[in-house]
Amino acid sequence: MDKSAQRVSLAEIFKTFFMIGLTGFGGGMAIVALVERVCVREKQWITAEEFLHGLAFGQILGPFSLNVCTFTGHHLRGIRGGILAAAGFIMPSFLLVSLLSWLYFTYNKLPQLQAALKGTNPVVIALIVVVAIDMGKKQIKNANGVVMALAAFGAAVFLKLNAAWILLAAAGWSLAVTIYRREST
Amino acid sequence: MAALFILAWVYLRIGLIFVGGGYVLIPLLNHIMVEQYHWLTLRQFLDGVAISQLTPGPLAILATFTGVRVGGFTGGLVATVFIFLPCVTLMLVIGRNYHRLKNVDTIKKTLDGLLPAVVGMVGAAAWSLGAASLDGVKEFIVLGIGFAIFKWTKMSPMVVILGAGVVGWLLN
Repeated sequence: MDKSAQRVSLAEIFKTFFMIGLTGFGGGMAIVALVERVCVREKQWITAEEFLHGLAFGQILGPFSLNVCTFTGHHLRGIRGGILAAAGFIMPSFLLVSLLSWLYFTYNKLPQLQAALKGTNPVVIALIVVVAIDMGKKQIKNANGVVMALAAFGAAVFLKLNAAWILLAAAGWSLAVTIYRREST
Repeated sequence: MAALFILAWVYLRIGLIFVGGGYVLIPLLNHIMVEQYHWLTLRQFLDGVAISQLTPGPLAILATFTGVRVGGFTGGLVATVFIFLPCVTLMLVIGRNYHRLKNVDTIKKTLDGLLPAVVGMVGAAAWSLGAASLDGVKEFIVLGIGFAIFKWTKMSPMVVILGAGVVGWLLN
């Protein structure tokens, strides 16, 4: 940890990530770009290289937007810094969704709300379809990938297998391929 | 009280297998919330996805919605804390051992390698959710328009979903 990092107060960390969580519309990569602008360029809390490493590690588990916040917070002030950064980032969305969910479950039966939600429902499905297509273009690079994607689709739609089991099976499959490739080169 | 413990346990497990980006939660949560525990109807689940898109947070904030349904504000808080507990803990551990961890090639490659399965699962979720909830020509037209907007413009999902809500309200 460098010297300038030591001086950042926990309150400052919380406030900064709360603002990011409040204004970072656009999700995923848009948030990462915002965190990068604020923490790497403006405040110089973390170097660009370390930030990129954090982003790489952030792909392992959970949402990487949250993970880069935790990583940067930890870099500044250890475990407390990491937890405060994560909490600050999530809090605005948490409060907003809590409020909206409460409104939703209370006024569920209102005809106006029902009508509005009838409009959003097909759009949500369209969003999921587009995500699948765009992810597919980016992540499926060879025949092995095509087979895996089709197998996962079939297992979910036709065999009705639990999503967690499909994910575990895919992890085993992918690990085997990784080890095989490593051994054979 | 018992419901909160179940909620915590369920979300902790989801948090532990939460790999491959936010959208993997759609098939996962659909299975657990709708089919296994019957905490939500399919329609409520889709409305929850719409609501979670109205915030800057990750899609995982969908946990808050389902938590509120099961246990009010406390339920939402428990669900949110426990779904994020594993990934926050992992990032803290990684941050701590950062300098010893630069060689994580096998983990990284394995995780990249399972992404095609996530693609298949997200596609399957769209298929199952669509088959179960869409009816009428009007809904398919809205779906087509939504598809075109998401695919070929940079408009944010939040704006599109709010717009769709207004259109739905005016049409119905």
